[in-house]
Amino acid sequence: MNVQAPGLGRGFGSGIGEAGLQRQLPLGFEPAKRGAGPAPKALPASPQGPQPAQPTGRVQLVSLRQELLLTARVRLLVIALLFAALAGVALARLGWLGLAGESPARTSLDAALLPDRGEITDRNGVPLARAFDAYALWFNPRAMDDGGSPLIRTPQEVAAGLKAIFPEMNEAATARMLASGKPSYLRRRILPEEANAVFDLGEIALETPREQDRHYPQGKLAAHVLGYVVEEEDGTLGGRVGMEQVLDDRLADTASRADPAALSIDLRVQGALEDEMRSGMLATDALGAAGVVLDVDTGEVVALASLPDFDPNRIAREDVPNMLNRVTNQVSELGSTFKPLTVAAAIDAGVIRDLSRDWDATPVEIGRRRLSDYSDKGDTLNIPQALAYSSNTVTMRVADKLGPERLKRVLMDLHMHERPTIELPARALPFWPKGEWSRIRTLTVGYGHGIAVTPLHLATAYAAMVNGGVWRPATLHKLDAGNVPRGKRVFKASTSARMRQLLRMIALYGTGRSADAEGYRVGGKTGSAEKNSGGRYSKTKLISTFAAAFPMDRPRYVVVVVLDEPRGTIASSYQRTAAWNAAPIVGRLVPRIGPMLGVRPDDNRDVDISDLRYLMEKAR
Amino acid sequence: MMVTHSRMRSLGWAAVLMLCLGLFVLLSLRVHAVRSEVLLAERQIIRLERETRRLETEFQARANQRQLAEWNRVEFGYEAPRADQYLDGERQLASLGQPRGPDAPAPIRVARAEPAGEGAGAGAARPRTMVSPLTGKPVTLASAAAAASADAPSRFAEAFGDFLIEASPIRPARAQVQAGAPGDAKGSAQ
Repeated sequence: MNVQAPGLGRGFGSGIGEAGLQRQLPLGFEPAKRGAGPAPKALPASPQGPQPAQPTGRVQLVSLRQELLLTARVRLLVIALLFAALAGVALARLGWLGLAGESPARTSLDAALLPDRGEITDRNGVPLARAFDAYALWFNPRAMDDGGSPLIRTPQEVAAGLKAIFPEMNEAATARMLASGKPSYLRRRILPEEANAVFDLGEIALETPREQDRHYPQGKLAAHVLGYVVEEEDGTLGGRVGMEQVLDDRLADTASRADPAALSIDLRVQGALEDEMRSGMLATDALGAAGVVLDVDTGEVVALASLPDFDPNRIAREDVPNMLNRVTNQVSELGSTFKPLTVAAAIDAGVIRDLSRDWDATPVEIGRRRLSDYSDKGDTLNIPQALAYSSNTVTMRVADKLGPERLKRVLMDLHMHERPTIELPARALPFWPKGEWSRIRTLTVGYGHGIAVTPLHLATAYAAMVNGGVWRPATLHKLDAGNVPRGKRVFKASTSARMRQLLRMIALYGTGRSADAEGYRVGGKTGSAEKNSGGRYSKTKLISTFAAAFPMDRPRYVVVVVLDEPRGTIASSYQRTAAWNAAPIVGRLVPRIGPMLGVRPDDNRDVDISDLRYLMEKAR
Repeated sequence: MMVTHSRMRSLGWAAVLMLCLGLFVLLSLRVHAVRSEVLLAERQIIRLERETRRLETEFQARANQRQLAEWNRVEFGYEAPRADQYLDGERQLASLGQPRGPDAPAPIRVARAEPAGEGAGAGAARPRTMVSPLTGKPVTLASAAAAASADAPSRFAEAFGDFLIEASPIRPARAQVQAGAPGDAKGSAQ
C-alpha cells in the first residue's frame, strides 16, 4: 500500500493541481510535462531546486499541492477500508449463515410421526382407533395485530363467504360472532379442502389450526369394546368406557404409543356378528342384543357386540343409555343354557353314570309350587332327551340329586359368583344367592333361574365345558402362544368329551336345530327365561339365549347370543323362545365366521355320537 | 527483493493453509447445503406419511365392515363357502383331472359360445339378469318392467323428477333413460 500510494496520489494530485498551476505560474517557469512521468521527479526536485531565491507564492503552492495530495490519499484510504470492511462483514455473514446457520427448528422424523395417542388395532393389525390430524376453524381477532378491524371485509361479507363453504352454517350468528371481536371456534372440525377454501377467503383472522383428533374408521363397529375419548381439562385426550380407558396410560405414554395396541378382536368376525345380531334383533323387534365369540383354548374374545350401539366418533346425549355393555355389564337369568352346566357337574360328580337311565319327568312339587316342563314329552326322559327337549323337571331332579354344595362349587369354579374376568371397566356383579342354598334354590339354579350372570360368564363357562374342562379368564388383549394362561381345571376331560356329544345332539335333534349350520358341527343349548323385573316374572317378556360351540369334534370357538325381549313376529313364526330367534342367528353367523377363523366346513366329519344316538332315536 | 528459502517455504505453507481453509469452508458450506436438503426431504416424508395415514383412514372409513355388508346385500350377494366347495388336498385336486377308470371315455365337453351379434356393438357383454341375493332367483322389478315400455323415461321423470333417475338403483332402467333408446334392453357395461 505504501509503495503504491505515491503513484496513486500522483495522478490524483496532478489532476487537481495542474489547472491551478498553469493559471498561477509566472512566465519563465516551465510546468511539469503531463502524462510522461517526469512529474514525480519534478515534484521532489522543486523544493531542492537550484534557484535559491524562490518567491514565497511558489512555496505555498507546493505545500498546498502536498496537502491536497494527502487529503486525497486519506479519503481514498477511508473509502477503500469502508469497502473492505463491508466485504468482510458480508463474507463473515455468509460464512456464519453457511456454517452456524440459523437452521429451522429441527424435529426428528420419529418425533414428528409419533401420534398424540397410540393406535388400537384388531388381532390382524387393522386399525380400530387412530390419531387423526384434523383442522378446526378458529377466529383470532388479534391475528393482524395493528389495532384496526380484525377483518379485511365486513363481518357480513366474511360470514357469507363462510356460508358458501359450509352451507349448513348459520350466517347471521357467524356474522355476530365475527363482529363481537372475541376469539372463538367457528367450527370444531373441518376437512382439509374446506381449510383450503377458508384460506382462499384471504382473511388472516380466520385460522385453521391443526388439532389431534381420534377417529374410529369402522364407525359404530365394536364401539363397546373400544369406548371413546374426551378432551380432558388439560387438553389431552382421555379414554372412556372401553379399552380406550383400560389402555389410557399405554396409549398416552411416549415410549409405547408408537406401537399400536393389538386387541384380540377380529374385525371381520365382529362385523359379521353385529350384522347378524342386528338383523335378528330387528326381525324379532327385540329391545337389545348381546353377542360374544370366544376362543375356547385361550380365552381371547374374538368378537363382542352389544346392541343398540353408539358411534364413538360422535358422542351424543341420546347415546348415553346405549353405552351399557350388555355382554359384561348386564346380568340376567339365562335360563335353560345352565342345564348343560348342571348335567356336566352331575356327570363329573358321578351322579349321572348311565345316560340311558330314564328320569322322572312329571312335574316337581316343592311346597305349594308346582314346576313343570315347557312342553310335555312324556313321563320319563333320559339325559340326552332332557337336554334336547330342555326339560326343567329332569334337570331339577338332577340338581336335587347333585346337592347344593357340589352345584355351588362348580359354579364358583366357573367364577359365576364374581364380576366377569375381562379388562373392560364396566363389569356387573352377578346375582349370586348368598348363604346356604335351600332345596328350591338349588333346583331353580339348576335350570338357570334364581341366579343372574352376564353373557360373558356363560361364554367362559361353556368354553371350559367343551375345551377339555379348563376354565380360563376372558381377555381382550391379543395373546401370544406363550402368554396363554394355564387356567384351572373345572371338569374332567371325559366329562367335557361327553358334553360335546350332548351339546351336538341338542343341535341335531333338539331345540337347537336351527343353529345347525351345515358342515360346521355346531352344538349348543337354547335358553328362554322370563324376564324378572322387581322380583316378579313377566309372562310376556323373555330373555332368549343361545350358547353354542363349534366345531364340536374339536371345539375352537364359543358363541353366545342373547336377545332382550324378542317378540313373536312373522320372521320368528310368531314364537318368542330362543329356538326361533337366537338359535337362527347363530346358524347364520357360524358359516360366515367359520372360514375366517380357520374352521373348514366338512360334511364328513363330526363328533362321534354313535353310542348315544339310539337314546334319541328310539323315542321317535 | 530477495526471497530467502525459509521465507519461501513459510509462504508456501501459508498458501497451503489458505487453500485448506478455503476447501474446509467450501466443504462445510456443502455439508450444510446437503443437511438442509435432508431436512427438506424429511419434511416431505412427514407430510407424505401424514397424507398416507389420512387417506388410509378415509379408505377404511369408506370401506368399513358395515358398508361392505350393505353392499353385499344389495349388489354382490356373496355367500360363505359351503363344505362341498373345499378340497381335502392336492390329491383330491389331482383326482379331478384323472379319467374315471381305465379305458373310460373322456368326458364330453361342451363349449358355450356367445350368441352372435349380441353385445358386439359396445364391446359389452349382455347384462346379467338381476337375481335376488337371498333366493338366487331372477327378479323382475316393477320399475324395470315399466322402463321397458316406450315412454318410460318421460313417465319416470314426470313422476319422480330428474334427480331420482340418477339415484335410481335400477341399472337397466337408468341406462335406458340415459341412452334414450326405448326398447333396447342393453344396459351400460358392467
